Amino acid sequence: MISLSVQPLLWFLAVGLPLVLAAGTLLRRYGPVALAWAPWTPLLALAVGVVAPSDSVVSLPWLLLGAQLGMDATTRVFLCFTALLWTCAGFYARAYLVEDPARQRFFAFFLAALSGNVGLVLAHDAVTFYLFFALMSFASYGLVIHDGTREAYRAGRVYIILVVVGEVLLVSALFLMVPGADTVAFSAVSSAVAAAPRRDLIVALTLAGFGIKAGMLPLHVWLPLAHPVAPTPASAVLSGAMIKAGLLGWIRFLPVGEGTFPGWSGFCIGAGLLAAFYGVLIGLTQTNAKTALAYSSISQMGFMTIAVGIGFASPVAWPAAVSAALLYALHHALAKGALFLGVGVVQQVQNGWQLWVVLAGLLCPALALAGAPLTSGALAKLALKDALAFFPLFRPGWLEHLLSLAAVGTTVLMARFLYLLQPGGHSHAPRLAFGLWVPWMVLLLSVLGVPWLFVSQPHGAVVSKTLSFSAFWPVGVGVVLAGAAWRFGRRWALLGTLRVPSGDVLITVTWLMSWWQRQWRSLLAPLMAGKQEVWLARYRITGIERAVLRMEGQLGRWANAGLLFLLLAGVLFATFVFG
Amino acid sequence: MSWDTALPVLVLLSSLVPGLVIFFLREEQSRVRTALNLAGAVVKIGLVGIMLWGVYHERHYETRLPLLPGLDLILRADALAMLLTTLSAGLWLVTTIFAVGYLEGSPHRSRFFGFFSLCVTATMGIALAHNLLTFFVFYELLTLTTYPLVIHRGTPQALRAGRTYLVYTLAGSAVLLLGIVWLHRVAGPFSFTQGGALSHLGPQSHGTLLVIFALLIAGVGVKAALVPLHGWLPVAMVAPAPVSALLHAVAVVKAGAFGVVRVVYEVFGIRFAADLGVTTPLALLAALTIVYGSLRAVVQDDLKRRLAYSTVSQVSYIALGVATPGSISSIGGIVHLVHQGIMKITLFFCAGNLAETLGIHRVSEMNGVGRRMPWTMVAFTVAALGMIGVPPMAGFISKWYLGVGAVEAGQGWIIAVLAASSALNAAYFLPILHTAWFKHPTGEWKEEHPRGRFEADWRLLLPSLVTAALVIATGLFASTVMSPLTWAKLIAAREYQP
Repeated sequence: MISLSVQPLLWFLAVGLPLVLAAGTLLRRYGPVALAWAPWTPLLALAVGVVAPSDSVVSLPWLLLGAQLGMDATTRVFLCFTALLWTCAGFYARAYLVEDPARQRFFAFFLAALSGNVGLVLAHDAVTFYLFFALMSFASYGLVIHDGTREAYRAGRVYIILVVVGEVLLVSALFLMVPGADTVAFSAVSSAVAAAPRRDLIVALTLAGFGIKAGMLPLHVWLPLAHPVAPTPASAVLSGAMIKAGLLGWIRFLPVGEGTFPGWSGFCIGAGLLAAFYGVLIGLTQTNAKTALAYSSISQMGFMTIAVGIGFASPVAWPAAVSAALLYALHHALAKGALFLGVGVVQQVQNGWQLWVVLAGLLCPALALAGAPLTSGALAKLALKDALAFFPLFRPGWLEHLLSLAAVGTTVLMARFLYLLQPGGHSHAPRLAFGLWVPWMVLLLSVLGVPWLFVSQPHGAVVSKTLSFSAFWPVGVGVVLAGAAWRFGRRWALLGTLRVPSGDVLITVTWLMSWWQRQWRSLLAPLMAGKQEVWLARYRITGIERAVLRMEGQLGRWANAGLLFLLLAGVLFATFVFG
Repeated sequence: MSWDTALPVLVLLSSLVPGLVIFFLREEQSRVRTALNLAGAVVKIGLVGIMLWGVYHERHYETRLPLLPGLDLILRADALAMLLTTLSAGLWLVTTIFAVGYLEGSPHRSRFFGFFSLCVTATMGIALAHNLLTFFVFYELLTLTTYPLVIHRGTPQALRAGRTYLVYTLAGSAVLLLGIVWLHRVAGPFSFTQGGALSHLGPQSHGTLLVIFALLIAGVGVKAALVPLHGWLPVAMVAPAPVSALLHAVAVVKAGAFGVVRVVYEVFGIRFAADLGVTTPLALLAALTIVYGSLRAVVQDDLKRRLAYSTVSQVSYIALGVATPGSISSIGGIVHLVHQGIMKITLFFCAGNLAETLGIHRVSEMNGVGRRMPWTMVAFTVAALGMIGVPPMAGFISKWYLGVGAVEAGQGWIIAVLAASSALNAAYFLPILHTAWFKHPTGEWKEEHPRGRFEADWRLLLPSLVTAALVIATGLFASTVMSPLTWAKLIAAREYQP
């Protein structure tokens, strides 16, 4: 055990060193050094996750509005999978981008986003969490648009708009929930939310604000656009680690476990189920392997939303629900990370046996996501069903069946993903790329082993539970379905011709946006830019409109402005004096 | 005359004397001029530092000059005054360095720096003024000394802008004077009092006070660019960049906002003003200004124009915070006096640097400029993110207190205004950042000077880096003893004393 005085230093380094190196990569002189050290930095966070004593808090009253970093059970799980995934992705990225002239810029954003991700996991007060959440979100923009293609810029635009919307929703929620401007520690906030007069508004804003990050329907539209266009290691951390920041935000800020909220419970369970099925169905129609994975993430986050819904139901259910959510987050982060990194590895294979090794390797996380027996997915499903036992509102038997049905869908989607892989796409690599293979292998081993470290029950009992029929049949049915589709091959390929564009409902939104943009360009923008004549020339307008326009133009003259002010003031005062 | 009574005057003299001497310097004596300017600025910072220390330890610095029987000119360093004095003294130094670099080789520099120093003197007077009469005298002085700065270039466009500026501000002053005289007839002579000086007046004069409040706010509202009195500000951006920087951050606009603070807190008093029912209309007006300014900013292609409309919007945060009755909102409004100043001056320094070094005036010309001038754009990015309200920048602290304060005061609608404003700020700042950092340069820039050791003249670069560092520091270390936030809390605590 490291002494307590070293702890804060280690924590600072885990958050701060990536930031320092991020700045370093941009300096001509220190760039190569920073780049060499970059992949090692998440190990600091992993060290914190392993050695820091539970329920320790470091208070920094001079920082921001009194910052607090801390370690509790939630932090530990999040920190472990976050650090593990970022480490593998970091080493992977160094090999993946070895020929990319802009790799220093990539690592600058990569490290900044890493710092944000680690910082928000360690944060124990609202403002610090919000700070690192913003850092991570804004820094990821650089990862999304890294390739500089049209699609990347489009994805980046959608992403950044939703980030800003999310930030605004969150900060509004924070304004409403904190008990005082300087009282921001989580311990004070969560109980304040439960008792807040505008609780439902706060919950709605929080759900939506973090829901954007967590891919909650219909705020998920950025995910299937951004994950495929980002370089593969960035997709892995986006879809594995950063997406979980939304879940962590829900756990930290929602009044889950603080009372009984049947309405919100039902809402979250409904939204989670919807996402679980919607993600699978739309994912099946995709023709890009990474897009299919992105939709799978939306689907899997649905299960975590269900766990939050159980937590809303009653304080009794919350301990079981939160441990299910944590296990799910851990399992999904590692499995999805391994799948994404695998996409890049497949592109590098040069011969038959390598391809078979990679496919066999990819089968592990794919089966895990489907929840096959003995995998981390089965552990997570088990935990979720345990939590359901505490669900007080109704007999949730049908819910369990729906979850199994979703697992069938996941199995088929994973089969579809394997079908969509394109081996040897980047076969210009001269030799076996160890820089890609080794991090991927490490992550694969983590998928197999690490989740078991976080199971509290005796392993023997858990193993026998995962070997139940209810774990077998969804995977079996899924495999049969996928096999049948494969056998009658044409239909399987035809799924792609359904052509649900990635970003699905975004199409309607973009249509509305472009309509609005047209209106803005032709009508409002000239007006706002002070070019009334454009307006007057283009439209035949009625006398009233002309008068309004003329008034706007004449605001430039003092006398009118002054008169208007007095008039405005007069009216306002009148309403308050006599009203 | 003891030290304590002399100090406020000395603070004024430290810029007045250099200013007057500079008028008599020949154009080519640039070393002497620069030395005088810098010496004045450094001395002023020293004096302000002493006063700051003293005020923190509850010492009183006051100078009284009898003018008419019953009417004194009073300069007094109270906590609120120190906020603006410190800001002005600090930013005057960096702006002077910037201006020396910016105007190198251009004509009429003695005239420029002379008026520049007078302008700062007037701002100091406004900050230290302890009654409405003193405030008005320096307020007028500020109008007259900034006019030559606005028209400095002497182009027809500049002259037109100067005329607009003068018409607006002089008319505003007339209204302000009317309000002051009327108020003195109603209430007799009084000086600024924490918690208000008018609460002894009976209900029979409340109707009159309503009108007087409107007149006073209209008077200071012109400089604070409250909609619809904001018309002069976007026009005045034809002035040289250091003038715009000073105008938007510490001098004119800030003087107006400061006037709003004084009128609401120390003439009427926040409780009395709330009882009169004038705070809500003022808050609505500020909210309207915030949204309207942001909407206009979104569509401007000219960088300085966009920044000007952004000022219209951001300065009204101060009025909004002041007009929301509740100590947390007050803290937010008061602290934004400082935060808006350092953020906006950084943006104008960067805009000036881009224009002077590469000839860039429009957002559409900024493609890939981050590669050519990375440090400038780092400073710009920091300040822009601060304006949006991203932590840990200074702007976040302001917004945080305004938002939490709105809830405390039961004015939930303000959160919607803040949310809309943040989204709009992002809408007009983030595209600039994307353009500068991620787009590829479309062509050669007009490099106005041969490239030196740094990406630009260090006198243009350093000030923006210093203020950008301040933007981060004031936010990140907001809870430390000498931060603007702590100071604003002190002021608010005194205002809300029972």
